Amino acid sequence: MAGGVAVEPDLEFKRRILGLGARNLTACYQCGTCSAVCPNSTPDNPFPRKEMIWAQWGLKDRALSNASIWLCHQCSTCSAYCPRDAKPANVMAALRDYSITHYAFPRFMGNAVNNPRALPLLFAVPVILFLSILASLGNLTSLPAGQVVFSKFFPIIYVEGAFMLAMGFTAVAALVGGSRYWNAMGRALGGSADGAGPSKGLMETVGHILKHRKLGQCEGNRVGTRDTHKSHLHHTHLLVFYGFLGLVATTTAVGVGIYGFGYPTPWPLWHPVKILGYASGAAVLAALGVFIYRRMADQEKAGKTTYSDWLFLDVLILTTLTGFLSSWLRLAGVAPPAYWTYFIHLVLIFFLLVYLPYSKFAHLVYRTTAMWFHASRAL
Amino acid sequence: MDKKIGVYVCKGCGIGECLDVEKLAQIASQEYQIPAAKTSAAFCLEDAQVIREDVEKDGVNTVVIAACSPRVNTDVFSFRGATVGRVNIREQVAWSHQAGHEETQALADDSLRMGIVRAQKLRLPTPYTEANERAVLVVGGGVTGLTAALEAAKAGHNVFLVEKESTLGGFAAKLYKQFPKRSPYRDLEDTGVQALIAEARKHPGIEVMTGAVVSKISGQPGRYEVSVSANGSVKNLVAGAVVQATGWKPYDPANFERYGYGRCRNVVTNVSLEEMASKGAITRPSDGKPANTVLILQCDGTADEEHFPYSSSVTCLVSLKHALYVRQRNPDATVYFVYRNMQTPGQYEYFYARVQEDPGVLFTRGEVTSVTEDAQGSLVCELEGTAVGGAVRVKADLVVLATGMVPVAVESDGLNLEYLQGKGLPATKFGFAESNYLCFPYETRRTGIYSAGSVKKATDLAGSAADATGAALKAIQAITLSSAGAAVHPRVNDLSFPSFFLQKCTACGRCSQECPFGAIELTPEKNTPFVVTNRCRRCGTCMGACPVQIISFDDYTVDMVAGMIKAVEVPEGDDEKPRILVFACENDAYPALDMAGINRLQWPASVRVIPVRCLGSVNTIMVADAFAKGFDGVALLGCKSGDDYQCHFIKGSELLGTRMTNVRETLNQLMLEPDRAQVITVEISEYNELPTRLAAFVDSIKAIGPNPMKGF
Repeated sequence: MAGGVAVEPDLEFKRRILGLGARNLTACYQCGTCSAVCPNSTPDNPFPRKEMIWAQWGLKDRALSNASIWLCHQCSTCSAYCPRDAKPANVMAALRDYSITHYAFPRFMGNAVNNPRALPLLFAVPVILFLSILASLGNLTSLPAGQVVFSKFFPIIYVEGAFMLAMGFTAVAALVGGSRYWNAMGRALGGSADGAGPSKGLMETVGHILKHRKLGQCEGNRVGTRDTHKSHLHHTHLLVFYGFLGLVATTTAVGVGIYGFGYPTPWPLWHPVKILGYASGAAVLAALGVFIYRRMADQEKAGKTTYSDWLFLDVLILTTLTGFLSSWLRLAGVAPPAYWTYFIHLVLIFFLLVYLPYSKFAHLVYRTTAMWFHASRAL
Repeated sequence: MDKKIGVYVCKGCGIGECLDVEKLAQIASQEYQIPAAKTSAAFCLEDAQVIREDVEKDGVNTVVIAACSPRVNTDVFSFRGATVGRVNIREQVAWSHQAGHEETQALADDSLRMGIVRAQKLRLPTPYTEANERAVLVVGGGVTGLTAALEAAKAGHNVFLVEKESTLGGFAAKLYKQFPKRSPYRDLEDTGVQALIAEARKHPGIEVMTGAVVSKISGQPGRYEVSVSANGSVKNLVAGAVVQATGWKPYDPANFERYGYGRCRNVVTNVSLEEMASKGAITRPSDGKPANTVLILQCDGTADEEHFPYSSSVTCLVSLKHALYVRQRNPDATVYFVYRNMQTPGQYEYFYARVQEDPGVLFTRGEVTSVTEDAQGSLVCELEGTAVGGAVRVKADLVVLATGMVPVAVESDGLNLEYLQGKGLPATKFGFAESNYLCFPYETRRTGIYSAGSVKKATDLAGSAADATGAALKAIQAITLSSAGAAVHPRVNDLSFPSFFLQKCTACGRCSQECPFGAIELTPEKNTPFVVTNRCRRCGTCMGACPVQIISFDDYTVDMVAGMIKAVEVPEGDDEKPRILVFACENDAYPALDMAGINRLQWPASVRVIPVRCLGSVNTIMVADAFAKGFDGVALLGCKSGDDYQCHFIKGSELLGTRMTNVRETLNQLMLEPDRAQVITVEISEYNELPTRLAAFVDSIKAIGPNPMKGF
């Protein structure tokens, strides 16, 4: 009679997690304080105590096919209260980091985006792509004369074309990655399905995301008075989230304006869409400023900042900054810097959007998947 | 020599404001015709000179000081050539009762009367000074024994070190490494036992006897006659004290069949792993292949008593060490560490954290429910209640059972005492040789014999060495005090010991049976008792036990207590003035009363307190005397008995508990309510509750009504 589930520790996986900013993982002695203080975990689904031992034992499948790693919103209360200083929040972050690569499609992209050595190559793709477009248009040898108009330099249709194609890949990759994760969670959970079902679950999840309910709980359900260095998270993330939505809305409106109404860019500064764009950009920039400042000021107190954290933050802020800068340079009428800043801006946007399913930006895919799965299947 | 008593009543520390001190002094001069009855504002200051002059010039040889508690100012109130009796009218009268009240005054009056009667009946003990051997016998040549021997020898005592094996070093000599004992508690260390052995062998004061056993110990602290048998010959020697360092043995793994022991080839004990580590590679016994996956199972501390009921930090730490052995020899190895309780006290926590840092060691709490072997000898272990999540199954090349440490059989092995009460030390819980670990860690239940190391408590090498040092010091103390005829513990320096009025002895042997320390032997055939003086701890349990009251001390007798009881004035016909007698144990209860007084807590003035050495020394006749005198109730205030007893004399309060049955019978014979006599257990830390308990007892006696025997 063979009882119990066979477990096969994967120590390589453990080493990888240790290397992803969770080197204190080994200190955990399973007291469960983390699960008790976590403002988001529930008695039905306590975490991160169990994730700690799964990571310690290298139980990769258990650790990765588990919604909790993404239900965690990194408030770091667990790290603040851990009696052994095992920093569970870092472990959860490391598991998320690892899982993005693990579920990535195609897999080599996951590895490349999280490997510093592949960074030049990743930038080279959009640079070469855009340079070749420019070369074919003849704009590489002589910049357009007269008033600075970006569509003269890089016609909108090419921009749209390139991005539509790339975003198509992104969408497929996100879909495959998300379904891999969903299926893995489904297998781990087995037959039980007590939740609201996929459609109601999705409604609930969208509602949660729009309100940032979980991040709100991170603050609202906090126990004790210890400083987690994450008190800014809820409001700052709301700011960056809606700033980003504003930028998406701006881009969409511009597209609709151009193709729907033949309203050519640049639009005047007083235009509401333009104002929305600037305001959203400013919101994103402000929020990113707070994030970066807190990461620098708090050092490791709030948790280890890894390569993927910095990459994501840096690309985001550079994208926003180059956006503003190219706009100002255009208005100032200094042609070469304006065009080349715009070029860099486009490269960064490409980086951000196309590599989304493999970077920290993938939280958009996986956290939504986890919340959706949890709401539909496992309440 | 005739007694000349002087009585000195102090007014200081608020006594004068509470009591009519002059009237109190008149009791001495008028009722007891004591000419030297003096008062002072403070006898502990310059007026100590008054007492000293009376002693030196007027021949006062028995001083009664009615002032503070006998527990304080013992240095000031000490006069060459005079015995001193103290009457506590400060803590237990003035500080704890209503000032100026007639009942408070009556309490002080009775206290002084009892003090004077006690002084009248007091005799100075003559010490027994015949036993003054200075050598120390150390039984057991492990780290504990070696350390004890060296410490005693370095302090100038000759030492006989007896080891039953042919080599010294004990278990430590078999160890490959020991877990870290020094900051930062990360790296395994050498045991250092060889250096210790060399030092002991070299020391001129230590006579090492290996391959030898102690075949007989008779006598007493200060003079033990010891026979040591080695190689068929017997050597006789004398020693003043004994350190028992006979150590431990591994728990018999035969009981661990359920973990595969004896059934699966690759299930071994932690002792075998230690041997493997000493020899070289850690391999599977079945085929000699390296063990790549090792499961270490903590087997101690099981819930079911039939297996191994207690757990020890040493076993845990040894297993942590073993995890490192495996990992350091084979960097690819995986170690599962399954425990019920992880105990890594103090700084050893750092070692635990250090082993955890090794990514190849996987810890979980849990129970192993089955171990089975496949054809290749690999083991499949099923675990339950794990932190990983419920029941899991893991494969292992080798399972190491961390069995616990069991003390050698202390009741039978090692000492071969020629004591009527048995040839070893009485074992306490789980078979260890100790007495009361919290209050007096070195004492055993045999005076002059000190246990140390793992025979007393599962102990690591550093703990054993520290323990051995303490035991050596205690042995030296026993030798020093015994040679002066003085008690070692807990009545340090007490010179009295029991004597027997054998003409009236019924030879029942109860004194010998009830003596917690094996101090009373019986004469062959006649069966009459005699005390082996230095084994005695002077608790008086024998005095309380004797059904015909023939046992007494020079300064503590049944007759003395009876006289004190008779000295109390019991008012008649006043229901508001009951009289309650309290026998208070001097070790906890009496100081607790003092503490209550110091904190100005109040208790009823109807209570009269007689301090006793131990509740075990309360003879039932004392209780009967109290009721005959007209006391309405008797409370026996003492320490907790049972498994977690606090009695300084081990069995005193427990024995009294059984004697209470007799007391109740006596009460029935006297046509009195049995509830008039009660035992109240108290710890010194409970002093703040004590007044309430006493008041409740007084109320319950008032409810019963007055003792009908008043005035008879």
